[in-house]
Amino acid sequence: MDFSLFLQNFLNGLSIGSVYAIFALGYTLVFSILGIINFAHGAIFTLGAYFTYALAGGKFGFNGILANAQLPFQLPFVMALLLSSVLSGLVTVLLERLAFKPLRARNADPLLTLVSSLGAALVIVNLIQYLVGAEIYTFPANIYGNLPEAINFGTATKPINIRTVQIIVFGVSVIIVTCLTYLINYTKVGKALQAIAEDTTTASLLGINSERLIMITFFISGFLAGISGTLVSSSVSIAGPYFGISFGLKGLAVIVLGGLGNIPGAIGGGLLIGLAEAFVPSDYSGYKDAISFGLLFIMLLVRPQGLFGKKLIQKV
Amino acid sequence: MTIMNILEIINLSVKYDAIQALKDINLVVNQGEIVTLIGANGAGKTTILKSISRLVKPEQGQIIYQGKDTTRCRPDQVVKLGIAHSPEGRRILAKQTVLNNLELGAYIRSDRLRIKADLEYQFTLFPRLAERRHQIAGTLSGGEQQMLAIARALMSRPQLLLLDEPSLGLAPHIVQEIFAIIRQLHQSGVTILLVEQNARLALENSDRGYVLEAGILKMTQKASDLLNDQRLREAYLG
Ligand SMILES: Nc1ncnc2c1ncn2[C@@H]1O[C@H](COP(=O)(O)OP(=O)(O)OP(=O)(O)O)[C@@H](O)[C@H]1O
Ligand SMILES: [Mg+2]
Repeated sequence: MDFSLFLQNFLNGLSIGSVYAIFALGYTLVFSILGIINFAHGAIFTLGAYFTYALAGGKFGFNGILANAQLPFQLPFVMALLLSSVLSGLVTVLLERLAFKPLRARNADPLLTLVSSLGAALVIVNLIQYLVGAEIYTFPANIYGNLPEAINFGTATKPINIRTVQIIVFGVSVIIVTCLTYLINYTKVGKALQAIAEDTTTASLLGINSERLIMITFFISGFLAGISGTLVSSSVSIAGPYFGISFGLKGLAVIVLGGLGNIPGAIGGGLLIGLAEAFVPSDYSGYKDAISFGLLFIMLLVRPQGLFGKKLIQKV
Repeated sequence: MTIMNILEIINLSVKYDAIQALKDINLVVNQGEIVTLIGANGAGKTTILKSISRLVKPEQGQIIYQGKDTTRCRPDQVVKLGIAHSPEGRRILAKQTVLNNLELGAYIRSDRLRIKADLEYQFTLFPRLAERRHQIAGTLSGGEQQMLAIARALMSRPQLLLLDEPSLGLAPHIVQEIFAIIRQLHQSGVTILLVEQNARLALENSDRGYVLEAGILKMTQKASDLLNDQRLREAYLG
């Protein structure tokens, strides 16, 4: 493979991988606090994309009961993206209230919570379809301003063209990861979250209101899902109400690859899967998803604790 | 003259599913006292402390702290009212540094400067922790972990400190060290409710004691009288 193609694939991989990373961090946060996987995470991803589409002034198609509907205002894309992510976070908090909290209050089996979140995912996806139909929605080309379609990192004779949107996606993801890392490691909220993740009872003896922090966690998780949905669809378009589902599964592959509940693991796993996919030759692009699950399978065989996970020490 | 009580437990009963762990407990802790709970394994000592810090829900009864009914508070609200609990089994955050554990002890406070001063104070109280402030808490020795659990509880600046078996599994000279600190805390005005296996040592350092048997309070006396009680000597003091 010649160098410019290599570099191009590499940068593409970083871009999509960074979104996998922030999306997977949403799973990881909830997992490390509650020890459960929120299967509705992929549905929130979808929801975020639709929210942004609507807030940015997009018009809905001819299916669904909101056919031809359009908001009376139109936000600049960056505002739409932020507001949509906040809304996604709020919906996730609501979801926590309805689908998780009642079960937690009864000390229910984690398996029930899993089923409950799966149910929530279906409700969200079906609701979207009911409201706006199943067609593909594409953001206008100039959502990030009047930037060139692609930037050439090579020379005129040996071009390495990277789509501008992918550079933006990567940049936004890096900002998000940085903020999140700061939040977790250097703020009071972050320290409280780490305490809850380690031992909820101890956390409450320290005066930490765990229910409030669980709410914050779900908000952040939903925010991450929503922003990922927007970023991906700004690059490839919204492929219908189900498009978050396969992304959701890939996110699972990422967190298992990186080690469940492990923050650097989610980041590393996301980048790894993104890069692996980017190097799939275009003739075989139909097999992209097989790559992530293939990696996952190998990982489970040789290193079940994940790439970055520590070996669990069995206490006797 | 009435002695100000800081904590009053009235007719407290606690059930774990089918097990009646506590039955009609009435207990008072006065301001500035050290009170010891003694009783055999499974008598319900830990359950009393957990009821106060609201880790378990009472079946009936009331817990009044500084005149306020805390029976329906959340555990984090109780901490904010001034009760700190150094629990059975220490429950330090094993994956975090000593320093982080201590800082989290001050979670409810926002007076940064005084938190810093209190941190330094803990380090003078427990010099072993000072040397190990950046060590991961899970790698501390048992005695050091116990010191950390107590120091962490103190970081919330409690008026009432609940200590559950602070000497468990520690070498005699460390136990002496811990009790020296308990005395020092007492002198600085902290009220302490203590649960101890080492009943003699505990009573020697206490004002009063309660004897708990299978979830029922059997005796309440001045610590010095309990130390001389014939039946108690046979049962708990060896
Ligand atoms: N979570 C629980 N579920 C069921 N039963 C419990 C639970 N916690 C305590 N018990 C029971 O309640 C009773 C009192 O327990 P508790 O821990 O208060 O005893 P203790 O006096 O602290 O004993 P030890 O000296 O061994 O620590 C025991 O019979 C115990 O088995
Ligand atoms: Mg006990």
